[in-house]
Amino acid sequence: MLQRWILILAGIIWLAACVGGGTVLLRYSSTAGERGNTLSQWPVNSRIAQCKDEDTLVIAVHPHCPCTRASMVELNDLMLALKGKVKAYVLVMKPREFPAGWENTDVVSGARRIPDTTVVFDLDGVEAARFGAKTSGQAVLYDEKGRLLFNGGITAGRGHIGDNPGLQRIISLVKTGKADKNDSLVFGCPLNAKFCPLSRSTLENAPKGERDKSFSYLNFNKEK
Amino acid sequence: MTNNPATELTSKEMEKAELLYQQKRTAHFEKMDHMFMFLMAAQWIFAILLAVLYSPYGWEGKQKVFHIHLYLAVFMGGGISLFPILLAKFKPGWIGTRHVIAFTQMLWSALLIHLTGGRIETHFHVFVSLAFIAFYFDWPLLVNATLVVVADHLLRGFLYPESVYGIVNPEWWRFLEHAFWVIFEDVILFWSCFNGVKGMRENARRQVEVEGLLESNQLKTAALEMTLAEMQTAKKA
Repeated sequence: MLQRWILILAGIIWLAACVGGGTVLLRYSSTAGERGNTLSQWPVNSRIAQCKDEDTLVIAVHPHCPCTRASMVELNDLMLALKGKVKAYVLVMKPREFPAGWENTDVVSGARRIPDTTVVFDLDGVEAARFGAKTSGQAVLYDEKGRLLFNGGITAGRGHIGDNPGLQRIISLVKTGKADKNDSLVFGCPLNAKFCPLSRSTLENAPKGERDKSFSYLNFNKEK
Repeated sequence: MTNNPATELTSKEMEKAELLYQQKRTAHFEKMDHMFMFLMAAQWIFAILLAVLYSPYGWEGKQKVFHIHLYLAVFMGGGISLFPILLAKFKPGWIGTRHVIAFTQMLWSALLIHLTGGRIETHFHVFVSLAFIAFYFDWPLLVNATLVVVADHLLRGFLYPESVYGIVNPEWWRFLEHAFWVIFEDVILFWSCFNGVKGMRENARRQVEVEGLLESNQLKTAALEMTLAEMQTAKKA
């Protein structure tokens, strides 16, 4: 009799785990992060050099976001597909109060191995905010004249490797100059940078000392 | 021994062979249930380790929180494994046990694919699981498992197509492309199941035939011994 009740209880738990777990899983994977507003022109106050002879892709990442590993895999595929046609920068967010070395994760080491890509450490995500990035994995693409071509993510879900609309659109935009859409959903952990979301005016209103300290931390990866 | 021993069996022997086959089949189901009981527990431990080592934390800016994968591995993994484990323990060989196991095994594929961020390598779990289920030699289990895969693709295809196909507006038949590879494997596995059942049935018949021959030999030996004893008695007299 007890055995029967144990099995009935286990059956109910099983059903709840199937339905509930499946729903949580699907909702988690398919819930996009917040995508900030990106300027239609390359931010004039950016410390990143915009390429004048090829398109420039900037992707903001949180070094500890597990979902961003998938974004790095997709970025690698993207850069291989667009070899010589685009230059990429990976902005690695680093809160100032965190100890040195906190930002050195497998996301960053993965980014360093991607061709034509430079890793940039970004104190408090100030630089990411200039590009309107609010979620780890948000990518913005500008043409050689500094015009915004694309703003969105390059994964199909949170931490999900595989074909995705963002990747297809960037490839199409760089190769043919057109795509069905110029954006896509972004999946990743919130960057939650100190000044995020930063419009140009918000950045200008930020305390000068804070901005200068942030700029001084910007460290262009010399290995690339 | 002839190629078709069934023709040599009497109806009583055939009944005995059928009974033996059913006993062997039930014992085989029980053995498979037992194997899956350990597999379910192993997959649960593996999923927790995967979540702990691969994605233990999620981040919201500066705030570190336990990653949802960890909760899913512990609670969803435990929730889906517990029932088949208990069924295998308390009701081995029951038809419901192996159907719950087949269903759960395919759920494990979906969970592990998510926990590894959709790695293409983890999709092998689907095909490996189908092969494991086929070892039951019970083809309806393959139908059960295949329907779980197709339903998962159909459902996610409608609700969230990008997660399955990587494009926003896939054609309605796109799930068939994915299902095709599963059905492709199923064809061979179905054939193996039928062959397995046929083999088990034939073994049962052969065993009955051998037992019949042994019985007949024993009778002949007994008769011979009796005759010898009678002859010896007659000789003494």
